[in-house]
Amino acid sequence: MDNNMKKKSGLSLVTRLSNGILSLFTNITLLIFSLSCIFPLIWMFYSSLKEKREFNADIMSLPKSPSFSNYIAILTNKDYRIFESMFNSLRTTVITVTLIVVLGFIVGYILARIKFRGNALLNIMFLMGLLIPIHSLLVPIYVVFNNTGLGNQWFTLIIPYVAFGLPIAIFLVQGFVKAIPIAMEEAAAIDGSSFTRTLFGIIMPICKPILSTVAIVQVFSTWNEFSFALVLMKDRRLWTVPLAMTQFTGQFSSDYTKIMAAMLITMLPVIVFYFIFSKQIIRGMVAGAVKG
Amino acid sequence: MLSSIRPKNRVIYAYLLFPVALYVFSVFLPLLTAGYYSLFEWKGGPSKTFIGLENYLGLLNDSLFWESFSHNIYLVIACIIGQVGIAFIFVMMLSSNLVKLKGIHRTFGFFPSTVSAVSIGFIWTMVYDYRRGILNWFLELIGKGDAAKVWLNEPTLVMLLISIPLIWQFIGYYMVILLSATTSIDKEIIESSQIDGASAFQRAIHIVLPLIKNTLLVCITLCVAGNMKAFDHIYVMTKGGPGTSSMVMALYGYTVSFNQQNMGYGSAISIGIFVISLLVIGGAQLLVKTLTREKGEKA
Repeated sequence: MDNNMKKKSGLSLVTRLSNGILSLFTNITLLIFSLSCIFPLIWMFYSSLKEKREFNADIMSLPKSPSFSNYIAILTNKDYRIFESMFNSLRTTVITVTLIVVLGFIVGYILARIKFRGNALLNIMFLMGLLIPIHSLLVPIYVVFNNTGLGNQWFTLIIPYVAFGLPIAIFLVQGFVKAIPIAMEEAAAIDGSSFTRTLFGIIMPICKPILSTVAIVQVFSTWNEFSFALVLMKDRRLWTVPLAMTQFTGQFSSDYTKIMAAMLITMLPVIVFYFIFSKQIIRGMVAGAVKG
Repeated sequence: MLSSIRPKNRVIYAYLLFPVALYVFSVFLPLLTAGYYSLFEWKGGPSKTFIGLENYLGLLNDSLFWESFSHNIYLVIACIIGQVGIAFIFVMMLSSNLVKLKGIHRTFGFFPSTVSAVSIGFIWTMVYDYRRGILNWFLELIGKGDAAKVWLNEPTLVMLLISIPLIWQFIGYYMVILLSATTSIDKEIIESSQIDGASAFQRAIHIVLPLIKNTLLVCITLCVAGNMKAFDHIYVMTKGGPGTSSMVMALYGYTVSFNQQNMGYGSAISIGIFVISLLVIGGAQLLVKTLTREKGEKA
């Protein structure tokens, strides 16, 4: 501390000046970036309170007489299917994430702890899942689902979403379980706990940190997934939010304020979720990315 | 052995049956199916004709496919430089003592990466819109109104204009990943280099960079994989147009299969995408690994 102070007072005017400029420059650069990340939301919000004509006249000005007419128009018209699509997304996301967490945990634990015939094979198979370029399955998966009649059902999307989420979940759980001392299970076994009870009653609670990481990553990727939904879902009543939104923007391509209102309504759950839990979400996403 | 540590095989297989079946059904079965149908001329209807490897020969000579591939590579390079590069610079800025509001930068900067590609695509369509776009509004504001364009209709500009939202969306994501790596660096190393008189730039290149090279490798791999599968943003913004100026591989496979109903050829394209993506992602990993190793040995 003392050393630092001495150093600072010893700095010449030129150095201090250039430090000041540097500080100003870095702060402004980062501020511009951060604002650009949040500005679309703000702009979309106040613009959605304008009438179409007012927006077309000046896209940047604040609304002269803010009104929720766009919102009312969207929410009262069932043909727009806003709530329907949000319900579909919510159902798909909740079931998908739950399945990924539970199945990922089970498979990850078994592969990490138990020797059995096929362990190595399964391990390789799921590791391959981390490498396989999933997007190349876009067309083939349509063919398979179409041939088996599994396409276009309310549960259709859950199948590939769970399958695509499993490898990373298994991988993360495996790494975590290997660090748990085996004495844990031995003690449980001596107490007479069955395999299933040990698995869910003792190991699963210990794995909570890694399981919440898995869940966080999957919530966003499932809620936002677009391309497989586009290929697999033809029935409009079953569309998820991203699909419904592309349809909506096509239908109202000239009515931007209405589109903005619809965008904000459908983004609201994610926005609220993000800004309440941003710390945990950021931590979870980073852990998921780096360890994966 | 105690039965609860080593359950019966029956129990293990019962637990594994459902997840493994689901996984094989969604990942391996489609690949096999695609391999099978790629050998046929098949327009999606009931009739199909076996044509052997003709689809693959067609693919090798399909200039549109290779153009799409080159656009994927363009995005990969643009995003490695843009996303990881800018993120690294921002991290260097953030870890200096000069910056205020670090928490805000993290929270706001990360936010776009949690938004769906459809929303991001729509927002940027509005930026580039002709009559009501932010870009043209800005040009007007600074008195360059005559430079206004229907931006996404410019074949020579469209790839650049598409890569900007992609880059912008994930800078914060990589920034946060790199930030977590730099904060785990021992403070003493940084301080002693400061005392030795290393400039901020020297510190970044010679001290921080080598110490976070593994994380950097992860970021670059993520970046490569992410851009080989580019689809959503482009589907929303241009659908590959104007013409084919912004066509990428996944979108090309989609267009051939669903708009032209050419499922046989579409399957061959899928296998092509599979092989090429695997090669590029694997190649990039290998390249970065050898590069970082050499650097490490020299230092």
